[in-house]
Amino acid sequence: MKKLSSMPESPSAPPVQRNWWVYVVLILVCVVNFLPYLRVVMTGFMDGATSSSATPIWFFTPSLEAFDYLIFEKGIMKNFFNSVVVSLASTFFSVTIGMFCAYALARYDFPGRDDVSFWVLTNRMMPPVAVLIPIFVTFQTAGLLDTLLGLIILYTAMQLPFVVWMLTGYFRDIPRRYEESAMVDGDTWFAAFRKVTLPIMAPSITATAIFVMILSWNEFAFATFLTSNQAKTMPPAIMAYSIGADIKWNVLGAAVVLITAPLILFVLLLQRQLISGLSQGVVRK
Amino acid sequence: MSISEHTTAAHALTFGQRGFLSRFGPSNRTMFPWVLMAPTLIILFAIGIYPFLYSLYIAGHNVILSKPYIPQYFVGLYQYQAVVQDPEFWHALRKTLLFTVQAVFIEFWLGLGLALLVQRQLQGVAFMRIFILIPMILPPLVAALVWRYMFYPGAGLMTYYVGAVTRALGLGEIPFLSDPVIAFQTLVFVDVWEWTPFMFLMLSAGLASIPRQPYEAAEIDGAGSWRVFWTITMPLLRPAILIAVIIRTMDAFRTYELIVIMTRGGPGNATTTLNVFLTKTGLEFFDASKAAALSLIMMMIIIVMSFVFIRVFRSKTEVAE
Repeated sequence: MKKLSSMPESPSAPPVQRNWWVYVVLILVCVVNFLPYLRVVMTGFMDGATSSSATPIWFFTPSLEAFDYLIFEKGIMKNFFNSVVVSLASTFFSVTIGMFCAYALARYDFPGRDDVSFWVLTNRMMPPVAVLIPIFVTFQTAGLLDTLLGLIILYTAMQLPFVVWMLTGYFRDIPRRYEESAMVDGDTWFAAFRKVTLPIMAPSITATAIFVMILSWNEFAFATFLTSNQAKTMPPAIMAYSIGADIKWNVLGAAVVLITAPLILFVLLLQRQLISGLSQGVVRK
Repeated sequence: MSISEHTTAAHALTFGQRGFLSRFGPSNRTMFPWVLMAPTLIILFAIGIYPFLYSLYIAGHNVILSKPYIPQYFVGLYQYQAVVQDPEFWHALRKTLLFTVQAVFIEFWLGLGLALLVQRQLQGVAFMRIFILIPMILPPLVAALVWRYMFYPGAGLMTYYVGAVTRALGLGEIPFLSDPVIAFQTLVFVDVWEWTPFMFLMLSAGLASIPRQPYEAAEIDGAGSWRVFWTITMPLLRPAILIAVIIRTMDAFRTYELIVIMTRGGPGNATTTLNVFLTKTGLEFFDASKAAALSLIMMMIIIVMSFVFIRVFRSKTEVAE
């Protein structure tokens, strides 16, 4: 199978040239992309007076005042826990369910395959806000409003098209003969799938799962309108604490730190898988 | 009993030769894929098609969420007519298209330029990748909050430092979020900041998959780098370009967090895109029926757009191959 390579370190790249201005441009891009976020993180560690100064202050004594407020006064860890549960569960279900669909689309040539594949894709193209009201009413009747279960079901469905799309490409890369030889040896289809195909697919499935988990973690529109108290996840919670008539910038900063800390940690640990997964799965036809 | 014997036995039980289920077993190459796809299709049907049908129903009636006691009766196509006759709808559509076209155009060229730079000079820049990608890794909500802070009068870095420059030039403060025209461009700027890394990522992957031979041939022929770019790189990059542009267009068309958090559609209705207009209609004015009709019209626009894109994509790749 094709090894997961990190980005464009291919032999196809034109000969390397070293121009100082390229470094200058790239460093500038990094600063522009990173500085605003860094600044907000810094603000999170300021005390109230420092953060509300009209002149930007760059050097200050760190304070945990804002974290204290969010965690102990506002109980944001409950929202954090909700977010963890919802993203883990929806990732697990969407990957497990979508895997088989992707396998069928990649391995079998049956009438209507292209239609199914297109239809699955169109599900991703609908703007979430467009189906919000019907889903709201349906959830209301089914008693799923403001429950973790409701969000898990919804996110599983939302992520499925993406999972199917990415994994179909990966499954096509695995030669069919591996499974066939296992089945000739007397294994059933499922045993061959589990013992041969899944281990080969493990890195691709991991990459897909990471990406889906990030999407679920970040989801905002549905979480805002479908949860109110019990099942509120991080994004709507943070929205509530950081937008108001009297904005406390250090609270906004601390909230941003809390919601992005797991993401940044994840991305740093799994950089290679994530980047190769993102680019390879999508560029492939 | 070995594992394989065990699973064979289980298989015989489930897909027993004479059982009903055997007809759908792995040996049936037309039915079995449908068995594998069933869970996905059922879930997508429940969360995708069912709300869609429900929307159709609501859009054909008069449902006001805040007045559930009003008797519901069938109104035919009245709600669609109400949307199409609403000047606010056309305004929002224009804004949405303007936003999408501007953002995707700028993101594409910046992302391509960045991808080409990084590819030319790979040594020592690999570690920069993570910094380049930061904006797209952040939750859209956070990106919007970060820039809301940056542009906030009397607090943000942008208003402070850019304001210092413009005051020195005698231009006064720039009303980043309070002037209708400038606020719209500010939103485009933030979208470009957030999603250029995505274009960069996609196009980098596309560049990496271009074979080396055409470049060698061009070098022998002595073609200049400008010519090489237009005759080799661009045509061979086309599949990656189309996929990246399709995904970005779909997502820019339905931008939500960014606008809601930074301007709430204002000042006035200068940044009210279709998504914002829809949310206002449905969840602030509780006019569920008009909102449903509007969401169906939006869905039509998006499906037609994606269909056209995919057609273009398919025919162009076939030509390229």
